[in-house]
Amino acid sequence: METLWSVRRSVRDLRPGDHAWLAYVNQEERRHVAGAFVRDGLLAREKVVYLAAPGELIPGVVGLPSADLLTVVTMEHLRTEAGACGDADAAAAMRALAAEIVAAERLGCRAIRVTADMTWAVRGPGGLDRLMACERHIERAVGPSTTVTAVCQFDQAGLTADELASVGATHSVLVTPDPEFEDSVLRIVRTFAPRGLALSGELDASRHMVLSQALAMVMAAGPAHEVHLDLKNLTFIDLGALNMLAEVAAARASGGLILDRMPAQLRTVVDTVGWTTLPGLRIGED
Amino acid sequence: MAAELEHRAFLYSGDDDFLRTAVPFLEEGVAAERAVVVVARAANVALLREAAAGLGSAVEFFESESFYRHPVRTLNQYQHLVVGQAPRRVYALAEPVWTGHEPRGLLEWMRYESLINAVFADSGATALCPYDRDRLPPQIVEQARRTHPDLLVDGVAAPSPHYEEPLRYGAGCDRQRTFDRPRLAEYLPFHTEDLRDVRAFVAERAALFDLDEMTAQNLVTAVNEVAANALQHGVPPMGVWMWESGPEVVCEIGDNGFWQPDALTGFLPPRSALQRGFGLWTVRLLVDLMEVRAGWDGTFVRLRMRR
Repeated sequence: METLWSVRRSVRDLRPGDHAWLAYVNQEERRHVAGAFVRDGLLAREKVVYLAAPGELIPGVVGLPSADLLTVVTMEHLRTEAGACGDADAAAAMRALAAEIVAAERLGCRAIRVTADMTWAVRGPGGLDRLMACERHIERAVGPSTTVTAVCQFDQAGLTADELASVGATHSVLVTPDPEFEDSVLRIVRTFAPRGLALSGELDASRHMVLSQALAMVMAAGPAHEVHLDLKNLTFIDLGALNMLAEVAAARASGGLILDRMPAQLRTVVDTVGWTTLPGLRIGED
Repeated sequence: MAAELEHRAFLYSGDDDFLRTAVPFLEEGVAAERAVVVVARAANVALLREAAAGLGSAVEFFESESFYRHPVRTLNQYQHLVVGQAPRRVYALAEPVWTGHEPRGLLEWMRYESLINAVFADSGATALCPYDRDRLPPQIVEQARRTHPDLLVDGVAAPSPHYEEPLRYGAGCDRQRTFDRPRLAEYLPFHTEDLRDVRAFVAERAALFDLDEMTAQNLVTAVNEVAANALQHGVPPMGVWMWESGPEVVCEIGDNGFWQPDALTGFLPPRSALQRGFGLWTVRLLVDLMEVRAGWDGTFVRLRMRR
């Protein structure tokens, strides 16, 4: 989900004052991005405030962080099955978040991370107005702040396209997953619909290892699924990489490796050697 | 399952002699229910279409002028044919084009005939290769005796006493190469697997030398692969030279080691990318010509692209 006016920033590049939004396509993407936001905060010993439904599993939490670091604010009406949400519930949620921020600032926290799945706010009559009111609350708390970073999560399936556009307009930043790898030559980013990796830049033997590691991570997360490689912005791929991808595909019991949006250089190579020499690799969408 | 290849040079004299052998050959193939193909010069295709009209659609015809354009790609096409027809065995009348080549190109086609013996050794295929002994230069007919294990002359079939194994024949071809390099050739050394500077060097000069974009990309892919090979098997210093030479753009990758590519390196089609040799085989397909020289001073791979 993207709007023309949004600044894109990966999780690790978010900074205090950012009121960011994540419109996730599935729970895997949500846990990946929100999890990184929480985990980075806890590792850096920053304050993390998470607004959640009772019993909700908080992504990115390893072990039992102390209450000084992680505060989970739970509210009954945040449950998906709770039905329509009222304006009073939303106001209560905003008050609770504001109170946690004030408390953390009093304790002298240098950096405070706030995140919540806000999809609940649109459930029921007057949903969009209610959500917009919440977002204005958050914007007022975060925008001028030198300590607070907020990530509002939205389920793309829970909002209409118009609602998403309105919601996007209330955020200054669109948060994207941290690259699995990035240097001046190659960038590897997780994709979630379809599952896989998007590669950009150039790939040669010096970076086979990082691709192989990133692939292993995706495959471990969903052993039976197909994995897609979006190659649109890969300006060079060497023959050794094709060999490596064929090896990876061959080693997988189920679910092949699909090459989407192959650039001209790769297309010529594949046409030359023929798909029959690349077992387990398949051509995807153009 | 594996059956031997029958690879015979048929040294004919005139159309009548050609048809006297070629027609019964095709009839035998059809009778044995083989996958029968004729790849011959247009004139001979016309002769055979008429003389063997009775065989109907059991014989597939191709004209050599379009089938034999690049030796390694032609080997690959035959390989597809053999694999595609299996378990039926291929039964081919196969006549390369021997006119209009530079000496270097001619050498590659002679070598191609020899490589047939290695690539299709276990295919069970039958290949009869007609040579017009009245019209072809004697040197070409003489080489046919070295590249074909069997001969057929004036109706008499016999093993060729001059036959050479492909490895030996190819080594002979490699020895004939001259590897002089013009002084104006530009040079870029490389040291690490990160070959982006090499790719930029090749791409910039390819554009300067008027290679079209796809040809340039293929050359970059090929140079990258050979350089990666040198890094894996060779010894520093390593580098790439590039220059233009008449209608061609030439890249040469050299190192001081001796990674001993043999005369078959990159010629045998791998079954898949997982097999050893996939890289250099792809390089041979991507470029117009790949020449290898392994000498006392190192290993040098020269890639040529026509513009």
